[in-house]
Amino acid sequence: MEKVGIVGYYQVKPDLDAMMSPPDMIFTAVRGALDSAGLKRKDLTTVIGCTNDYYDGKTISNAYKVDAGGAYMKDESKVEFDGAHAALYGVFRILSGNHKLAMIYGYSMPSCFPYETARILELDPTFDRTISLLNSYTAGGMQMRAYMKKFNVSIEDIAKVAVNSIKNAAKNPSALPEAQLSNISVGDVLESEILSSPLRKLMYPILCDGTAAIILAPEKQSLKITDNPVWITGVGSCQDTYYLGERNLSISTSMEIAANKAYKIAGINDPKKEIDVAEIFGHTACEDLILAEAAGLCEQGNGTSLLDGGSALNPSGGTMSGLTPCACGLTRIIEATKQLQGEAEGIQISGAKKAITTGQVGFCAQNNIIYVLEGGGN
Amino acid sequence: MYVKTGIVAPEFNFWVGLVMDKFYDGLENKKFIGNKCSKCGKVFLPPRKICGDCFAKAEEFLDLPETGVVKNFTLANYNVNERKARKLKEPINVGLVQIDGADTAMLTKILNINPDEIKEGMRVKVVWADKIKGHPKDIKGFEPIGGE
Repeated sequence: MEKVGIVGYYQVKPDLDAMMSPPDMIFTAVRGALDSAGLKRKDLTTVIGCTNDYYDGKTISNAYKVDAGGAYMKDESKVEFDGAHAALYGVFRILSGNHKLAMIYGYSMPSCFPYETARILELDPTFDRTISLLNSYTAGGMQMRAYMKKFNVSIEDIAKVAVNSIKNAAKNPSALPEAQLSNISVGDVLESEILSSPLRKLMYPILCDGTAAIILAPEKQSLKITDNPVWITGVGSCQDTYYLGERNLSISTSMEIAANKAYKIAGINDPKKEIDVAEIFGHTACEDLILAEAAGLCEQGNGTSLLDGGSALNPSGGTMSGLTPCACGLTRIIEATKQLQGEAEGIQISGAKKAITTGQVGFCAQNNIIYVLEGGGN
Repeated sequence: MYVKTGIVAPEFNFWVGLVMDKFYDGLENKKFIGNKCSKCGKVFLPPRKICGDCFAKAEEFLDLPETGVVKNFTLANYNVNERKARKLKEPINVGLVQIDGADTAMLTKILNINPDEIKEGMRVKVVWADKIKGHPKDIKGFEPIGGE
């Protein structure tokens, strides 16, 4: 695959209640990304937004975001959750040879919609939604139980993963302030409220308002814009079945398939040794482990070993630094980009050269997407 | 349009489709009706039109028994309704139960058992609702089969 460059980015600081309008949020991120690369709106050839009709309370939710997104009279399209999928759309457009500069943004404001309720609308209306038993919490609880049983992992180990992420978030200037608990302990996590056994509240992300934007360009164009681009060198995605009752929740086969595709494209032979940083979009601390293992960063069931060495797992705090639906997959890309540029203030992993980032859609990460990013400019 | 407790909801109904209609018909007669992939023979409950793995139609319907095993479970402290996630006064046991003869598990409540005593692989049988309406809520839940 020809390299695609990430040449600019911007994150609107996550907030529990941003007190900004959707156009304000999107404009701030898109303007910020252009400014970060020294570009102007006229330079953009395509704009891909990631929004969600349910979250925005209207159908064709991108229609009124055209102006704020910088897409007026331009090639424009939309992906409905996750921002990482919007980035894939952008990668395709760049690789088609028809576009020189793609703006990708992802946005939502959970302060304005009940996220858990909106997720209910993802469920099969003829059974699961009707019986009102499946939601983010019960799905996360069953997934965690399946993982712990299959691999004989203790709840303390899962709590350690949550602590690691939350402590990382405390050092990350881009994290949601309410998620920054520098003194958190395993005991705090275990004693936090049980959402749905064995899932604890402090193993589950805080939803927050936010917007993330990145700018993509072909290799030559990237080098004209910046001397420090980060390259997308591989990408893979894979979709599992919807039905939890048909899936093995203790592993993620779809992530494994996606990762193998991405590594093949990027020429990664041994992810355990070659990947320095992993920014994983897990809906719970346990799902972070399942996805990291499926991405081949360690053996299945052995994800907690990443806390002791190997690829750095979620140095930004991952979703425990605050989860903005639609923006999350892009936020993971931005956090990894900062690492590879040596600009991850407060959380820099020394000498980081290769990273993976993930995005997902659906209950228990039904659909997974993974990118391989490499630093090093030219 | 009608308004209740602060939300606005458009009122509409839709048909559940040929396959789930058979499942609903079964519930009306206190029976589980699943279906089978014409290629690999996998049995789905609730039934489904297409087997994703074989990319083939599941056209053969079959009656399945009222017993099965618990495949997974969680004690839910929240219910998510049309407004938000609300804490339950009494937590409920939610589980995935695979009916004997089926290859997929379905979501249900696990009833009449202390949450600490639920185990994966435990045998259970259906508890039907007092009033049957031909609706998924006719399945009140599943309870342990004595002696297991």
